[in-house]
Parts: sequence; C-alpha cells; structure tokens
Amino acid sequence: MKAPALSFSKAPVKFRMPTSANLVPIRLDIEIDGQRFKDAFTWNPSDPDSEVVVFAKRTVKDLKLPPAFIAQIASSIQTQLAEFRSYEGQDMYSGEKIVPIKLDLRVNHTLIKDQFLWDMNNFESDPEEFARTFCKDLGIEDPEVGPAIAFAIREQLYEIATQSVASARESRISKKGRRGTEHATSSKSSGSALDLVKLFGYRSSVVRKRKDWDVYEPIVDHLSNEEVDALEAREDRNIR
Amino acid sequence: MELTQRDPSSKPLRPDEPELDLYTIPSQSSWFLWDEIHDIERTELRDFFDGSSFTRTPKVYREYRDFIINKYREEPTRRLTFTDVRKSLVGDISLLHKVFKFLEKWGLINFSANLGNSNNVSSSSSSSLVVVEDEEDKARVKVEGTIPNAVRVGASPNSPKPISAPPVVGDSSGDAVESGFKLPPLASYSDVFGDLVKQKGLVCGNCGGNCDSGHYKYTKGEFIICINCFKNQNYGENRSMDEFKQIGHAENSSNQGAMWTEAETLLLLESVMKHGDDWELVAQNFQNKSKLDCIAKLIELPFGELMLGSSHRYGNFGGLNGNKNGANQIQLSSSELHESLKTEGQSHEQINEKEQNGDAVDEGPPSKKQCITSLSDAGGSLMKQVALISTMVGPEITAAAAEAAVTALCDENSLPRETFDVDEDYTSNGICSPTTSFEQERVLQDEDSKLMERSTQSETQDTSLKRDDIPLTVRIRASIGTALGAAAARSKLLADQEDREIENLVAIIMETQMKKLHQKIKHFDDLELIMEKEYTEIEDLKDSLLAERIEVLQRAVNAGICRWRDHFAVKS
Repeated sequence: MKAPALSFSKAPVKFRMPTSANLVPIRLDIEIDGQRFKDAFTWNPSDPDSEVVVFAKRTVKDLKLPPAFIAQIASSIQTQLAEFRSYEGQDMYSGEKIVPIKLDLRVNHTLIKDQFLWDMNNFESDPEEFARTFCKDLGIEDPEVGPAIAFAIREQLYEIATQSVASARESRISKKGRRGTEHATSSKSSGSALDLVKLFGYRSSVVRKRKDWDVYEPIVDHLSNEEVDALEAREDRNIR
Repeated sequence: MELTQRDPSSKPLRPDEPELDLYTIPSQSSWFLWDEIHDIERTELRDFFDGSSFTRTPKVYREYRDFIINKYREEPTRRLTFTDVRKSLVGDISLLHKVFKFLEKWGLINFSANLGNSNNVSSSSSSSLVVVEDEEDKARVKVEGTIPNAVRVGASPNSPKPISAPPVVGDSSGDAVESGFKLPPLASYSDVFGDLVKQKGLVCGNCGGNCDSGHYKYTKGEFIICINCFKNQNYGENRSMDEFKQIGHAENSSNQGAMWTEAETLLLLESVMKHGDDWELVAQNFQNKSKLDCIAKLIELPFGELMLGSSHRYGNFGGLNGNKNGANQIQLSSSELHESLKTEGQSHEQINEKEQNGDAVDEGPPSKKQCITSLSDAGGSLMKQVALISTMVGPEITAAAAEAAVTALCDENSLPRETFDVDEDYTSNGICSPTTSFEQERVLQDEDSKLMERSTQSETQDTSLKRDDIPLTVRIRASIGTALGAAAARSKLLADQEDREIENLVAIIMETQMKKLHQKIKHFDDLELIMEKEYTEIEDLKDSLLAERIEVLQRAVNAGICRWRDHFAVKS
C-alpha cells in the first residue's frame, strides 16, 4: 500500500482523448434556407482529410439534402478536426483526475439523466462499452440511444481534456515544476479531486452513503409523443 | 458422506455470520476468500495493485469487490446489473465496470441467476462448472462445462469432461436448468390409483404371504396369520385356534355392492343428475349400496363417465366394461371366446372379436351397443398400452405389482379374496410362463372365459353377472395398476443404479488423483535426497581441494622457492 498522491509525479501526457479509441466528437448543426441538419458522431482523426468530403457528399446524398450542404458539412467537420489537432502537440495535466460526467439527453422517445465518475487518466476507458452496458441493463431498445450516450460522454471528456491542456499550460507558465495535489485543487472540477483524497484515504469508504445513491442512479424516461413534441418545441425556442 | 463432486468452498462466508446460506460459485473460483486478495485478482486487476494512483489501492479494490458480491447475494436469483452497483460506488466508472466483469466472469456474482435464466444472455463469456445443492439436500444436479475463456489458471483442478445430467434442458453449453430434481412418483399412477393403492400389507407370520382380506390376530401376543393359514390350522407353535381373533374384512359383504337392478340403476342416474358429485346424497337413496358402489356402478355404465365430473377418468373403463358386460351376457359366446383366445394376435384383436360378438347381441339397450363400437379403439389402445408397459418389466415385478393392485382393489370393492384366489393358480401359472404381456392378457382372458364357463353352470344369471362384472372391472384396473406400478419401479431402479455408478466413477477418479499426487511427492522427495547427497559431496570436494592447496603452498615455502613468482603461479 502506498501513501497518497504526494509521492507521485508522472511525466506529462500528450493530449489525446482519454479513451481507448482516440476519436473526436463532431457535432453538426447547419441551417440553409430553412432546412436544418443536426448530427453528432465520432470521427477518427487519423483518417485522411479526403474522407471528410467523401463523407459529406455521402451524407447529403443519403438524406437527400440540397447540395449546398456538402460544403458546409465538410467545412464544419474540418474546423473541428483542426481544433482537435491544435491541441495534440501539447501536454495535458497528468495528476489525479477523476471527473464527474453528467448525462442529460433526449433521444427520440427516451430521456436520460445520469451521473457518474470518469477517470481522465484511464486510457483504456471506453464510452461505447459503457453505453452498451447501460442500454442492456436498463433494457433500452432504441438503437440510437447507445451511440448518443457515448457521444455525450466523449464530448464532455473532450472538453475536460482541452481544459486540462489549458490549465497545464497555465501552471507551467505560472508555477514552474510544481505538480501534485496542490494543482489538483486548483484545476477545474477540483471539487471531486478534493473528495477523492478524502474518499480514497484510509479512514473512509468508497461505498457511497445510501442517501447519495439516488443522485448517481440513472433515470430513464420513456416519453409519449406529445411530450416529445413539447420538448422539441421548447428546445427550438431556446436556441432561437 | 455421499461422494459428490461438490465444491468444498461453496460456502465462502464471513466467519461471524450466524446463518449459513449456501451460495454457489463455480469450482474454478474456489480460490476466492473474503479475507484475502488472491493472485488471480492481482493479475487481472493490476490497476489496483501497481500503486499508480491513490485512488486505486487494494483496500479500494476490496471494498468494491465485497460490496458487489454482497449486493448480489442479497438476492441471488436476480441478475445483478452493473448499473445497480455503480451508483453506490465512488470511482472511475470504467474501472468499476472492469471489476464487475471480472467478478461475473469468475461466477462470483450472477452465477445462480444465470442458471435460473433459460436464455443466458450474459455479457460474460463463462460457461462454467456448476454444482448446485438444494437446501434440503434432496438431490444434486451436476452440470459441467468448460473453464472460462481467456483464463489460464495454473492451479485449477482438471476440469472433468462434461457430463450432462438427465434433467438439463439447454441449447448451449451455458444454459442449464436450475436446481435439484427428485424422481417424482408417477403422477399418473397416484392420480388414478391413489386411493386404491394400499401402503403396507400385513404379512402372515406363518406362511409369509400377504393377508389383506382378513387376518387373525393372536390374542396373547404379536402374531398374525392369514385366513388361509387359519383355515388350514397352521397356527404356528403352541398356539391353538381359540387364541386367534379375527380381524379384517367381513366375508359376507360380497353381495352387498353388486346387485343393481334396473330400477336401482335408473334411480342412481337420476340422483346423480340431481346431486352431481355429491355422493353422500346419492348414496342415501340406496339402503344397501355404499358411496363407492354407486360410483363404481356409474363408471361401469357405458356413458357413466359423462355423468362423472370428477377427475376419475375411467372412461375407457366404462367402455371396456360395457363391452365386457355385453360380452358376458352372451352365454353362447363363451365358446367363441375360447377360440379367439387360441388365435395368435394382439390383445385388441381379441377384444374386437368380442365386440363383434357384442354387436350380434340384439338385447341390451342401444346405448350400450353404440358404446361398444365407439370405444373399441380406445379399448384396444389402452390394453395395448398396458401390454407394452408390462413387457418392460420382469416377471417378478409384474407379479408383485399385480398382487398389490389386486389386494388394493379387493379392499375397495369389499370383494372376498376368493374371487381372485380361485384364479390365482391360473394367474401364477400364466405369469410364470414366459412373460409377454400378450400372455398375461391371454391369461386374463383365460380366467374370464373359465369364469364364464363356470358361471353358465351356476345358479342364476344375476349372480353370474355379479361375479363377472366386478372382477373384470377390477381386473382391468388391476392390470393397469400393475403395469404402471411396474414401470415406476423399474425406472426407480434404473435411476438408483445410475446414481451408484456415478458415485463409483467419482470415487475412482478421486483415488487416481490422489495416487498421482502421492507419486509426485515421492518423486520430489527423492530428488531432494539426491541433491543433499551431492551437496555434501561437493562440500567434501571443496575441503579437499583447499587442503591440497595449502599443502602445495607449504611445500613451496619449505623448498625455499621464491615466493612471489610461485604465488602467482599457484594462484592462477
């Protein structure tokens, strides 16, 4: 048994998605002439860029969208990919990082709310597998729910990863060479890091108190058509 | 203690738990202990043990593991999902998932739940050894499979070849039907004959035969003799006739239940229509007929089963009896019957012949005639089935079952044993002859015909009817009881035999394993001995070498040779 974190200091890790498959979450939301195209999927950044245009063309053809979409889709994807790549050379913060991930999404008729912890240093994690288990355990039959969950998780992980790059840069600039738990306290989502030290220490238990169980339990609602319409209307209103 | 392939650690419990509930885990997982972390766990869940993070320590791992297993054991029949537990545990969700999958793969959770499910749609790939034990120790189901995939366990016992237990119904190797089974008593038999089968018969102290229709009890002690012995004055030593007291069924009740005039029959039908299944009321209408008599008579009527709402499905009987009744009324047919008996052929052919005879009868109500024709097939198949079942057992079993059924039926119908005793000689003769059921049926037919011949010479039509009706009815039921009982006995014997064989084989396997181990141990002991010897030898050699060296040096010095040069030479 080793003492807690103070003795650790890992070499900085290069930026990447903290999952076993380094996939970029891409979100599209394009509107041309009143027609709206929304989509969300994962992209492999090691694919050649020529694939982007091919993909855009195929999408437009399959969904019978006006050809104006092709350019927009392609450019949107490329922008996001470029952004991803801009982070790639840089270091991520490498201390303990177990972050809360929240799910709050609606896919067709299913509404999902959930919360759980994710270790940013666990590079073998797999959002897709999590989504699979989730759907299986809760008996969700809609095949679109799983990928949506996985995507949501990836998005959040991506955001946290970019934040960690930013914070790593800051810390290098401001406090050279200092790492460890002090940094953990100052980084984002530090609340959970604080708790971690307490939770994973000697005195306490990693079993949550019963009153907290509800917070971390997934909630799955199956909506009726009217409710779906209502929600959609509200979402549109919010966006406008 | 019975030798089963029971998993010795199928009770991994905390030592302080007062009750011992049994949880089943596969025998490959017998390394699991609450108080320790095994190497398997350390290898597979390395993240907790490499000290890479303070969030992943052995303590944390144990908490996860213990919580998940306990959570599962709160309800072992229900499949625990990952989502159930992850809300209660703090930590990286992927890591939790890994622990969960690990436990599931090794069957430490969701094991009995998987057994209970008919489709094994678990995400784990294990189809593993199962030893299930019923709480009441009734029976053991042994279902065996393969070691979980992708697991190389050094110390695991050799997994025996899969043996499929008889009751397992499953499509893949992972599927299994849960829990123990026990040999059920033949439900059909107990349903049909439950009330007729007598549990234990009294055994005569003298001749050793069953004394069921009546026996004589020795007033001065515990001794019973049957009626036969009493009649033959075989009382045993030092006992006289006075000292025996008759206990048992009256012999004068034979006439009671058997007389049914037409008027009475009509009355019976009416009261059944009125009262339905309430036999008390129906029986009240008849002074000299008991409840059972009414039921029996009703059954015998060709359409009797239609009246009966109860679960007694004597429909076939009704038909057959109607059939036989019709046949009995033909005195002339007795000779024809005889001829039919002589012919080779299935028993149903004989019945067909009789039916033809029945058809030739003009007298008798039309309903009876119809019944005969309509139920001929049923009659044939029933007898055929009885015949088939009887073929499957040996003659002794058949004889014993026949005895039991006959005696039981005697009780039910208050018939004197003589009705059967008379034919016993024929019965025993028939049975001792090479047993095909065909023979047996023929024997029965023989008795029938002989009875009928006798009856033609007896006093009145009625009494002859009376004598033949009941015995035939009863006889048929006796034969069916025989067959079913015999089949049940045989299957039980077979099952027992198989059990014994399995035990034997298991014992042999264990012995062989032990021997193997002993051999290995012996081998290692020998090796050790050898090594020790060599060691001592080498030590000696070393000493001697050292001595030699010293000697050489000594000589060199003595000889006055220049030290430095020789020192080098000696050294190298």
